[in-house]
Amino acid sequence: MSKAKRLRLIAQVVGCAILAAGCVARAQKQEWFGVTSPPPGQTLRYITGAEPESLDPQMSSGQPEARIAISMFEGLLEYHPKTLEPIPGVAERWASNGNASEFVFFLRRNAKFSNGDDITARDFVYTIRRGLRPELASRVAFMAWDIKYAEALNEGGAFVRDPKTGRFVLASEAAEAEGAAPAQEPSKAGEDIAPDTEFHRLIHEPERLVVPSDEKERAKKVKAGTKLAGLVEGKEFVPVKPEDIGVEAVDDYTLRFTLKQPTPYFLGITQHQFFRVIHEKTVERYGVNWTRPGNIVCSGSHMLAEHTPYNQVVVVKNPKYWDAARVRLEKISFFPLEEQTTMMNLFKAGEVDATYNHSVPASWLRAGLRHSKDYMDAPENGSQYWQLNTKQGPTTDKRFRKALAMSVDRQALQGFRVVSKANGAFVPTGILPGYQSPPGFTLDVEGAKRLLAEAGYKDASGNFDPSKFPVKDLEITYNTSESNRQVAEFMQAQWKQHLGVTIPLRNIETKSFFGMRARLDYKGIAAGAGWSGDYMDPYTYLGLFATAAGDNGTGWYDPKYVKMLEAANREADQAKRYQMLSKVEEYLLDNAPIIPLLKPATSWMKKPYVKGLYPNPGTLHAWKFVYIEHDQAKWDTAMPDMTNPHYDGE
Amino acid sequence: MSRFNFILRRLLVTVPMVLVVVALTWALIRLAPGSFYEGERKLPPTIEKNIRARYGLDQPWYVQYGKVMGNILRLDFGNSLRYENETVNEILRRTVPVSAALGTCAYLLALVVGITLGTVAALRQNSKIDYGAMTLTMLGISFPNFVLGPILVLVFALSLYWLPPARWGGFPSRSLILPVLTLSFIYMAYIARLTRAGMLEVLRSDYIRTARAKGLTEAQVVWRHAMRGGLLPVVSFTGPALALLISGTVVVERIFAMPGLGNYFINANLNRDEPLILGIVAFTSMTVLIFNLLVDVAYAYIDPRIRY
Repeated sequence: MSKAKRLRLIAQVVGCAILAAGCVARAQKQEWFGVTSPPPGQTLRYITGAEPESLDPQMSSGQPEARIAISMFEGLLEYHPKTLEPIPGVAERWASNGNASEFVFFLRRNAKFSNGDDITARDFVYTIRRGLRPELASRVAFMAWDIKYAEALNEGGAFVRDPKTGRFVLASEAAEAEGAAPAQEPSKAGEDIAPDTEFHRLIHEPERLVVPSDEKERAKKVKAGTKLAGLVEGKEFVPVKPEDIGVEAVDDYTLRFTLKQPTPYFLGITQHQFFRVIHEKTVERYGVNWTRPGNIVCSGSHMLAEHTPYNQVVVVKNPKYWDAARVRLEKISFFPLEEQTTMMNLFKAGEVDATYNHSVPASWLRAGLRHSKDYMDAPENGSQYWQLNTKQGPTTDKRFRKALAMSVDRQALQGFRVVSKANGAFVPTGILPGYQSPPGFTLDVEGAKRLLAEAGYKDASGNFDPSKFPVKDLEITYNTSESNRQVAEFMQAQWKQHLGVTIPLRNIETKSFFGMRARLDYKGIAAGAGWSGDYMDPYTYLGLFATAAGDNGTGWYDPKYVKMLEAANREADQAKRYQMLSKVEEYLLDNAPIIPLLKPATSWMKKPYVKGLYPNPGTLHAWKFVYIEHDQAKWDTAMPDMTNPHYDGE
Repeated sequence: MSRFNFILRRLLVTVPMVLVVVALTWALIRLAPGSFYEGERKLPPTIEKNIRARYGLDQPWYVQYGKVMGNILRLDFGNSLRYENETVNEILRRTVPVSAALGTCAYLLALVVGITLGTVAALRQNSKIDYGAMTLTMLGISFPNFVLGPILVLVFALSLYWLPPARWGGFPSRSLILPVLTLSFIYMAYIARLTRAGMLEVLRSDYIRTARAKGLTEAQVVWRHAMRGGLLPVVSFTGPALALLISGTVVVERIFAMPGLGNYFINANLNRDEPLILGIVAFTSMTVLIFNLLVDVAYAYIDPRIRY
């Protein structure tokens, strides 16, 4: 090829590229992103995230599944479309006793399954007992562990009974034997809400001791506890049965939960898909195949019509639904997709009407998409923070941990991250009306240096000396993800700028990362993405550090902290409880097992003709309120106002 | 040795080869950290125990290994761990036709366009047509499909709004056009170059000169004599090409959100979904081995010099 020809070719290729880039830029200056013509009728095409692992509401743990489950199954309570507060579902009204350890739900009498069968309290009892059976191996069963003996059932536990007297050994006896204070019994004052029954009296008997049913495991546990051996000696073991747990159908339309301890956030838990009611006969008849189209019986506003994995889940309006008159969407097609660019392409071409949260690529936002009127940016129920290893290395020193948290400019991080907002505290502010987080960490370089000098990293004159900083004992360990890498690099630069130290980065594949973090097998800093709240209450965050195991990931466990949390949860007055929880959060931040960084915000797209769909803090939508508006005059002109709790279709 | 014996022997070798591949894959899955039920959230030990018991993960490794191998020999790969109401066989039955439709269309398109382009280029060697065709093929080879796909989407779906940008619309449908184009481009390029090279060599050989000397028309020379020899490199390319096609669809299926095998393969690996990974690996390796065998057999028909 001659030189001239080659040049011409290069010019042509570059020209094409510029043209293509121009198309993108032009599109993004528009008010709306791409095509805005609604599909005919009342059909919604929604991208919900990954392919659902299961359509069984008691089996699935993720958000993609939750959104589909909301359409097909209804629980006692439904999510408020804007605030996610509990609103009536199958339950018309509800009440709790004084210390929130017992909840009674009164069910509406006209609720029906999609095959016409009545939904009664017994169906809920079945649903919850089934979800907790250990053979089902549900990974979200822990959502129901607040119910008395639910955890015991789920772990395959057994009560300990004296074969001669028939008396059960009590948990308090074991606690006394181990030298711990006996657990407080929840108050029994629930009879005035619903009639007292034999089961009710039984479940309120002092808590029984539970040991593993499995002989080997029991032997292990008995060995570990010094005096347990004496208590179980010569006794028989009665496996915990589904009938033993604290959920009771007082009558067909009254459902009572007895909890193992005061749980003021229990209403928020019952909105989870784990508590959404399923049809016993169908489940027992078809086994694992009960969720297939053709077999499935639904309880929600919509019912399953088609499921082709990795292609679509289609639900259509359920004519037997008790509130069918309000339901406007005839059909919802859920598209399982994970490629962000593909999602945005489909949205722009008008092939989908709305997407799930965090579906917009950061580069597109920077290119201007965040100014588009169909972009949903509102506070989210989540918190982004890094964990510190409090069991080994320099991060065992509280002063050192605080210094790390104090030498970060969160405002700069917010500017860098585009979507998330700065957050120096742990619980995200702005989503829980009435809860006031403590001020938390702000940039204070001098303070940080002082703390580091106190911790021993100082020169002869007592000032902080970067060369003494234990860089070799630290690593910013993050799991593979583009955004984690960016934040990790940003933070590395922050500490370099403010403290003059360069902490090395270490990238770990995601599945391995969580195991390492749980084992505290990291040097100093675990830079994961953070935590999304399970329900709308500060406890969903603060509770993470009430146990040394689980998702704690820091090794920080402080009995004083746990006591403070328990005291707050016994408080019936919500305003007072929130004040107490705020103090708990302050105590946590003062000990700094974590470096709070950001609070996430929603980041998704919705066409202006989709109404009743709001950027709520959990991106969980009650589909019964959603509809397609064909009258262009009534379309959204901006992101819906989230400060006003009224919603369309109310 | 008869042709039948040859095929039989090759088929018999296929079985242990697939077993070795599966065994290696199994070992690699076991070596990789993490397991299918682990997520961002640490599961309470009770729940982890329940899950492990349900899926037989609490048994010793040789018991699990024996079970896996038994399943493979019976061609029943068991249930997926992640999508528990589906068997791996059902997943394969549903997804293979999608990937096969994509792959076959792409390869047929590549054959037609590639051979035409290559032949024309060879017949008009060093002409503008030749240079144009070879520039195009150079682009085709050096342009990865994850770049080409989005460019095609940008032009045809997002600027001109002619074609859907993604998702499966059944077979045949307009939704196939962009992924098939994306997938076939690189093969088109290879085939065109192979055809050109093969044809150039053949066109200079003695038997073509003889054919021309006998007074055959140019069309007869090309179609009846030159093509047969000139396309041999394309035939031998088909074996590895079909293997490449399988890995190629993984990317294209992802970009265009096609419910094919590739999407499952990626997610099965990320999810550590052992039965599904093993099922797909076994299926893929069998396909590759069988295609290679078919290519070898086809060789004998096309090239009279090859005998078994």
